[in-house]
Amino acid sequence: MKSLLSGFLAFTLLLAAAELPVAPLGSYKPAERKFWAFQPRKSIAIPEMKDRIARQWIKTPVDAFILQTLNASGLQPAPPADRLTLIRRVTYDLHGLPPTPEEIDAFLKDKSSQAWATVVDRLLASPRYGEHWGRHWLDVVRFAESDGYEYDTHRPDAYRYRDYVVNSFNSDKPYNQFVKEQLAGDEMDPANEQYLVASGFNRMGPLRKNVGNQKVAGSRNETLVEMTNIVGAAYLGVTVGCARCHDHKFDPFRQSDYYRMMGYFAQTQPHDLVQATKDQQEAWKAKAAPVQTEITALQTKMKAAPESEKNGLAMQLDDLEDKLPAPLPSVYTVEDDRKNATPIEVLFHGDYLQPTARVGARPLGILLPEAVSEKPVDLAQPRLELANWVTDPENPLTARVMVNRIWANHFGRGIVSTPNDFGRMGGKPSHPELLDYLANQYVANGWQSKPLHRMILLSNTYRQSSNSPSEKLAMEKDADNALLWKFTRRRLEAEELRDSMLAISGKLNPKSGGPSVMVPIDQDLVKMLKRPQYWVTTRDKSEYDRRSIYMIYKRNLQLPFMGVFDAPDSLLSCPRREQSTHAPQALEMMNGATSNTLAAVFAARLNSEAHSNPARIERAWRLATGRPPTAAEKALSLQFLSSDPNNPLVLKELALDVFNLNAFLYVN
Amino acid sequence: MPEHIRFAKNRRDFLTDCFCGMGSLAFASLIAQDYARAANLNPLAPKSPHDPSHAPAKSVIFLFMAGGPSHLETFDPKPLLNKLDGQKRPAEFGDIQYQNVNANSRILGTKRTFKKHGKSGIEVSDLFPHQAEVIDDLCVIRSMHGDMVVHSAAQYQMMTGRIIPGFPAMGSWVVYGLGSEAQSLPGYVVMPDPHGAQEAGVPMYTNGFLPSVYQPTMFRPGKKPVLNLDLPQNISLDQRKKTLNLLRQLNDTNHGEDPEFAARMSAYDTAFKMQTEAPEVFDLSNEPQETLDLYGVNQPGTDDYGRRCLLARRMVEKGVRFITVVSGGGGPEAEWDAHSDIEENHGRMASWTDKPVAALIKDLKRRGLLDSTIVLWGGEFGRSPESERSKGRDHHNTGFSMWVAGGGFKGGTVYGATDAIGLKATENPVHFRDLHTTMLHQLGLNQDALSYMHLGRKERLTEVRGEIVKGLLI
Repeated sequence: MKSLLSGFLAFTLLLAAAELPVAPLGSYKPAERKFWAFQPRKSIAIPEMKDRIARQWIKTPVDAFILQTLNASGLQPAPPADRLTLIRRVTYDLHGLPPTPEEIDAFLKDKSSQAWATVVDRLLASPRYGEHWGRHWLDVVRFAESDGYEYDTHRPDAYRYRDYVVNSFNSDKPYNQFVKEQLAGDEMDPANEQYLVASGFNRMGPLRKNVGNQKVAGSRNETLVEMTNIVGAAYLGVTVGCARCHDHKFDPFRQSDYYRMMGYFAQTQPHDLVQATKDQQEAWKAKAAPVQTEITALQTKMKAAPESEKNGLAMQLDDLEDKLPAPLPSVYTVEDDRKNATPIEVLFHGDYLQPTARVGARPLGILLPEAVSEKPVDLAQPRLELANWVTDPENPLTARVMVNRIWANHFGRGIVSTPNDFGRMGGKPSHPELLDYLANQYVANGWQSKPLHRMILLSNTYRQSSNSPSEKLAMEKDADNALLWKFTRRRLEAEELRDSMLAISGKLNPKSGGPSVMVPIDQDLVKMLKRPQYWVTTRDKSEYDRRSIYMIYKRNLQLPFMGVFDAPDSLLSCPRREQSTHAPQALEMMNGATSNTLAAVFAARLNSEAHSNPARIERAWRLATGRPPTAAEKALSLQFLSSDPNNPLVLKELALDVFNLNAFLYVN
Repeated sequence: MPEHIRFAKNRRDFLTDCFCGMGSLAFASLIAQDYARAANLNPLAPKSPHDPSHAPAKSVIFLFMAGGPSHLETFDPKPLLNKLDGQKRPAEFGDIQYQNVNANSRILGTKRTFKKHGKSGIEVSDLFPHQAEVIDDLCVIRSMHGDMVVHSAAQYQMMTGRIIPGFPAMGSWVVYGLGSEAQSLPGYVVMPDPHGAQEAGVPMYTNGFLPSVYQPTMFRPGKKPVLNLDLPQNISLDQRKKTLNLLRQLNDTNHGEDPEFAARMSAYDTAFKMQTEAPEVFDLSNEPQETLDLYGVNQPGTDDYGRRCLLARRMVEKGVRFITVVSGGGGPEAEWDAHSDIEENHGRMASWTDKPVAALIKDLKRRGLLDSTIVLWGGEFGRSPESERSKGRDHHNTGFSMWVAGGGFKGGTVYGATDAIGLKATENPVHFRDLHTTMLHQLGLNQDALSYMHLGRKERLTEVRGEIVKGLLI
């Protein structure tokens, strides 16, 4: 093997010396093309139910598909959940926050037949919706506000992209437009600032920078890899990234397909567009000038210096760059450098030093007729061309993948259980016809998400109880509840948990958008950074109480509270969060500063809003769980409070227990 | 339901399992009997290895020498270097890719002297007089190699098998595969160097795409190494017991048999146990003076690393599965990253760590723990035969030394070799992935079975398959 490898290496080096061949366009067997995800969407009729009772159950088309499959499996849907459960469920689902007692009461009292739709529409229209659903998208695109790797340099303006995402969800921007803006906003209209912010998407991945040896070609290759892989993971829902080093082992993606996708990014270069007045820019330059002079001098010295000294000088340069004034606000975007397009080559084992063939730009071969030719990598508006292909209504993947993400976030599980992998190793769709029906509707409704949310939320499927009367039988047949014979209970995610503690203690700062917040954290965590100076605590303390989506996402320092509750680390695309249960979570919730500080605030709120222990307990449960306490809960809590009546900490301890109640932490 | 969490079957299992450490003595004895059943509730409960018939090792201590210690000054004597000192590298050794060393660089001889030690007669340099004393317990690999010549990528590869961040580290693999024997301590611990961070940062130690239950507990310097282990200010232990008792009762009033709720309360029990029992483990004051002296605790230079090594032993005794003890952090001069002066840098780093490292081997051995504990020593690469800035050495990934002791590794052995100037691993090269595979093998774990559903496929945690290096093993 060893000699074979070195022989191969010698061979490729020879090739590099001569002209590399063009990689073949590849051909795809009919069996490969037949795989369901690569087939065009079918035109699907809503199943017709003969049974009258069944017909009555059907509120939206979703129900017809779900009921048909349940019946075919000998299962029944669970009865509807009660109204209190429903409003809590849907408020968390759409906002990631608990409903207020007033919102609950309004719904409980609303006797109109439109009561449920009223709640759904109110929630969809609120800006809190984009803050929650935007976060789902940020998981997928591995949004972060630092580079990762050695320096983990901050990207103080990355928040603009986060705000763009939140606003896009709130305005229900058509998804095809959303995709195009992110892939190619700068090509569509370089004068549109929001487009430029959006196409900063192409720079979202981690960025490798090293002291001394920057390995320019290698780093460029890594950058292109990040750009290419995320198109597969986020938009197409396929693991095309596997084909970087070899033909895909399971799916019909050749290695050349991978590099032809990369071809669309050959011209893409980072571009920081300064957002400051001339005066501000002048002032910045004046401040920076002395350091700049030193930098220039050092750079000149570096050029002349012997190789052995360059590394040391590079480090001095890094230190100097740290002394520059904070960068002016800018938009992180990309631009095409058509003249200097990076040649794209198929790389043996993905190693940029071992090219084996040249390629141009072309979408995935399996989704094209045989032998469609490629285009040169210096084509005009390359990413827009790619984006147009991705969002073509006939693209069999894009709409299916997005409606599946939406479905998965409502039900805790997708119709395809692996939202980033529609390939052979991914989950098979539990309801293939429903998936196509929803995708067809999505495209027909102008790729808007809110009508899809409505179709799902107004269904009886969504309104099922999380307890089924025939639980035992159903568990035997479908333990994962893939067929939805009940609603699947879930635990609050990291952000929901923190935001909810803030909300019910009355401390949540509802401010939207803007630069991210750096909260004070344990100094020992900051010390674990190579560049601890980047962690600069936000001055305005009221900012610490904002929603978690506005807390900084730093690649090399995850907030402990977020990490322990399975928030993603923003290094890889995260299609579905883990939900683990372990002791450090209990330590965080019982002993951690976040929960204890907020428990004290919550206790103070209870004291000020209620004037007897029974009333305080009543209020605590209403705020945290939406319902009044049961008799047993009330008795236990009263006993607890009266055991040490003069100690104000006892009420705080009760408040902390409320934060740890299953009835608070879980959504039924 | 996530596939990694295995739940109790019914309420009775829950009741018998959930009262550990909560003062319910009636149940305490049941706990001991029902140890196996606890696996249903605790995702970190010990799991049977893939191959119970071959699993000599139970724990791992990784003495991570961050920055890349020189093989040429430690375990790989190259007399030719001193003869070629000041000359260009002879062409017959070939070329490799470096960070700073280039065609004009000159070979740097070493000021260290090597002597044979122990029954095995393995040569160790005078940089490590203490490790030389335990050489018969060490399996020295002189033919290590990795793919990357810069710190961060090399550290990622050494820790996770990948050259990019975002993937689970060795410690997470092992805890995922075996759970933890420690009832009141985290299963996977990293003790960072208090001087500061390494290049790859915290992501090299973490769980990547694995659930957070497999994340490392990053210890802090000082007497209270674990975050959130202390009660909040103003809250007495007595009060907190009442709070927890109320929580249990409140949660019990509602949800009958959902096993996930049982798992949650079980996690609170474990947390409480950690809170009361772990501080005892962290408290070194009961260690005999002789042991403290052995590790160099309270002695200048060695105090910090000595304490951390001693703590590692105490945690292994309690069943902690994987412990990384980092030497080096906060910049090249505070790591083994001897770019500017190999003598000064390595002299200092060795004076801080050599004695504690050797003490750990001796102490584990006399307590009968070495056979079941893999101790791995080394960094993300070695250092170049050529000089950098006249007295320093550059990064060097194509041939360097690491050693492994205990856990069924063959002590008193040298495995593999580099060429005559230590440039390339020429005999029996061992890649990081081979080392990973071999360590897993000794823990009874099979790299192919150690996989996790990620992005719709069972992803092998080690990524690229390695070979079991039989020559390293007893």
